[in-house]
Amino acid sequence: MTIITALFCACTVFLPTIGDPNSAPNQHVTPYYIENSAVDTGSPNIVTGTLADYRGFDTLWETSVMFVSGLTACLILMANTGEKQQGKKGGKKREQ
Amino acid sequence: MQVLIIEALLLLFLIFVTVCILISKDILACTIIYSAFSFCAVLTYFMFGSPDVAFTEAVIGTMSTIFFVAALKKVDRWCK
Amino acid sequence: MSNESNKMKKSFGGIVLDSSFRIIIPFTLVYGMYILTHGEYSPGGGFQAGALLAVGIVLVRLIQGADKKSFNVPGPIAVVCAGVGTFIYAATGWLTLAGGGMFLDYSFLPVPMHHEAELHALGILLIEIGVTVCVMMTIIDIMDAIIERLDDDKEVDYHE
Repeated sequence: MTIITALFCACTVFLPTIGDPNSAPNQHVTPYYIENSAVDTGSPNIVTGTLADYRGFDTLWETSVMFVSGLTACLILMANTGEKQQGKKGGKKREQ
Repeated sequence: MQVLIIEALLLLFLIFVTVCILISKDILACTIIYSAFSFCAVLTYFMFGSPDVAFTEAVIGTMSTIFFVAALKKVDRWCK
Repeated sequence: MSNESNKMKKSFGGIVLDSSFRIIIPFTLVYGMYILTHGEYSPGGGFQAGALLAVGIVLVRLIQGADKKSFNVPGPIAVVCAGVGTFIYAATGWLTLAGGGMFLDYSFLPVPMHHEAELHALGILLIEIGVTVCVMMTIIDIMDAIIERLDDDKEVDYHE
């Protein structure tokens, strides 16, 4: 475990520097977004333009994932209250 | 260079806070220290120049602290 | 921990909490709406606005109790509204389909506008309203579930 952790930490040396304009992720599609975002999406905020316009389909499923996860959490919490009324600790004390 | 020093201090403090959360026996204290962790993360995101993420982290840190404290009424406060 | 402190549906505000409540809650709600409508020009957007509005409503619920009708969203309505938020997002995509474009291509929104960028801004605003409603109602939903569960078994002895 320690060796694996040390290996991972050693690999961070080969990561690109933060804010390096010549690194691989900053070469492909980012310059186009930075140059044309304000004209294309009508919003000066590049983050909002990218999230809502260029990557709108991703955000749609992100929102639906959030809805489903909230629903699931709600259902799990509600289901446990239902079982507790019949069964274990809380139910017994309520019957007395 | 000054910005780098502040970044290093913030990141070290993040590690320190995380270790504090790990070794603490009081879950309420863990929750409050977690909000401190979230605040440090907010400052770090501001340092790296992403106010969107920092704003999200600030709001969600507040929110999850409320959730944890509300859920803490159900469980035992002290780790055994 | 006494039994009174576990009834989270009742109000537990004193005079300090009530006074600060009157100042903080309107500020939080108005700031949430500002973040929502101004999200294209400044940091912010649907997710942050929804979380801020939900923080406002959860604070109302914590301080004034869930019995009060002001600023309150009941649990079943919150679940339905979370689905409605997701539906608003998808419905924007279907509107662009009806306008003759591709899915979520805001240039084809069937609204008369002068410039293409204005159409894009309108589309971004629409989907951010959807995201806001979804996030806000989901957070209120989880809070509701936690509080109802607390009230349900408040007779449990916590420190055995």
